[in-house]
Amino acid sequence: MASIRLENIVKRYGAFTGVQNMSLDIADEEFLVLLGPSGCGKTTTMRMIAGLEMPTEGNIIIGGEVVNDIDARDRDVAMVFQGYALYPNMTVYENIRFPLRMRRVPASDQDRMVRTAADMVELGAFLDRKPGALSGGQRQRAALARAVVRQPQVFLMDEPLSNLDAKLRQSMRVQIKHMQRQLRITTVYVTHDQIEAMTLADRIVIMNKGAIQQVGTPDQIYTDPANTFVAGFIGGPPMNLIEGTATGGRFTAPGVNAPCPANLSGRITLGIRPEDCTVGGGQVQGLVYGVEPTGDVTYLSVLAGTKQVEVKAARDFRSDIDVPITIGFDPARLYFFGADGQRIRGGA
Amino acid sequence: MAKATPDRLRRRSPRMRAAFPYLLLTPALLYLLAITLYPGLFAIYQSLFVVKFLNWTWTGFGNYAAILKDREFWAALGNTAIIGGISLALQTAIALTVAYFAYRDPFIRGWRILYIMPMLFMPSAVAFIWKLAFNDGRVISDLLMSLGLIERNVDWLGNIWLARLTLITADVWQWTPFLFIIFVAGLQGQDQEIEEAARLDGASWPAIFWNISLPMLRPIIVVAVTLRGIDITTMFTNVYVMTQGSPGGATETMSYFIYRQGFRMFNFGYASAASVLMLIMTIIIAQTVVRRAFHSGKA
Repeated sequence: MASIRLENIVKRYGAFTGVQNMSLDIADEEFLVLLGPSGCGKTTTMRMIAGLEMPTEGNIIIGGEVVNDIDARDRDVAMVFQGYALYPNMTVYENIRFPLRMRRVPASDQDRMVRTAADMVELGAFLDRKPGALSGGQRQRAALARAVVRQPQVFLMDEPLSNLDAKLRQSMRVQIKHMQRQLRITTVYVTHDQIEAMTLADRIVIMNKGAIQQVGTPDQIYTDPANTFVAGFIGGPPMNLIEGTATGGRFTAPGVNAPCPANLSGRITLGIRPEDCTVGGGQVQGLVYGVEPTGDVTYLSVLAGTKQVEVKAARDFRSDIDVPITIGFDPARLYFFGADGQRIRGGA
Repeated sequence: MAKATPDRLRRRSPRMRAAFPYLLLTPALLYLLAITLYPGLFAIYQSLFVVKFLNWTWTGFGNYAAILKDREFWAALGNTAIIGGISLALQTAIALTVAYFAYRDPFIRGWRILYIMPMLFMPSAVAFIWKLAFNDGRVISDLLMSLGLIERNVDWLGNIWLARLTLITADVWQWTPFLFIIFVAGLQGQDQEIEEAARLDGASWPAIFWNISLPMLRPIIVVAVTLRGIDITTMFTNVYVMTQGSPGGATETMSYFIYRQGFRMFNFGYASAASVLMLIMTIIIAQTVVRRAFHSGKA
């Protein structure tokens, strides 16, 4: 068990900067999710914690010890890879036992530990199989078992669920979270899937272009986004971001007219979540662009000027396309962002 | 509906359509017949006769019976196994070792041409160079003397094992690169995530190679070594140029034995029978090795 501290980490590949000046504290036993689009530096960050990449600048501290110069194999860090990375020539049993063998755990303990780990992921019946004879979900569980079997200080997961189908992903998500709580191992989890981030994380770190955009609990990230990038990344569908002009306490854009704090003026961006919009009301005048019933909710797209506004409508809402419609905003749930994309706080 | 096939094709008669695949195969079949199949069948046919130039006398399996009692044949078989086996083991070991150290080098693509070069030389030229180096030119003896390792010129053909050593050296020098290139390609093709996973699991580089990379490389090793092994059993050029089977037949390989029977003693039927026997043995061994390796590689 250990805390992790990143101090002013920079990673450059030639002229390209993969991670720029990143500082982060990860508490002991915390489940931290690094979230961002591909190429944002989240995997690089994780690989630096693992010791598979060296930071160009800065320190990585695990459990109070600077580990920059400590080799990956000596860091007591376990990792689950996107492609599972099971050893194809070994059975599941041998795969799970491999880290114990390499770390010279007494042979008398190995069998018990392997079976405990396998039972934890419900793979007890498949120990004699080779990875090639397992399904995707089973391979993923075998990789998990191999990572937890030696009770590492830190647990790293690099998009472990991205190769699974949606249904399996949901059940594996629950299993991973349960296991992390049970074992109380500090975990860093990389994903580009905001649902995974929201459901798993104690705290989320949102990254873009190698820089941290915001760090916070899922609730904070959702209700209090720091900038348009965070606002547009979280939520399904994400927040509507409408560029327009503020003058005299009104925000206007083609087809949109909403109240805004009187102190705002000039080009700003208004943000409103689809669930804070209602059909009927005076803020948006537009045409129905599309209606998507999903059963428990209906997603409605409205074309206001040139901008599509997403609305979570009642489950029984139905409409033809190109029908004129008005949309209302919950005035308490409006967000405003400056021209630089940063949140303008206060007011509203 | 749009036409999936042009009209021209559709008007082709059913007979023509049935014949078309065979028509396409014909050039390849003709080539095979002329180059491989005809001489092969001819050899089998000839092996059933005692041939003295145009005078063929039927003997049935007489040649085979005689060969199996021929001490020179068994000696040649033994020499081939010893020289080929040692040579193959050495080049596989060297190639694997060098590949292990080299495959992570990002510049390997650039400088591997240096390794391939021995393979690009004409085999007979290589054989003559080694002959010069060992016997006629005494280059190697001089080198060893100047290093103080020996005191007098070595007569490389004066000792059974030294003579065999010269053949082994020449073959290892020329063909280790072939295995090396294949092994490096195989290692580089392996999933790097697996290596990283092993690293995080606490494995050292040698442990990773021994426990993971090598077992994963196994099918490639088997195929490459089998190809090389087949090639080595037909080793001829080096023997012909460097030792001619001396001393006392200790370096006479199967190919050289067949050559001597056919083109020195003009026992064509006898030589044909020997090559048929050798072909059968090679096929059986290669088949067994490959099948074994792939069966235990799976499941």
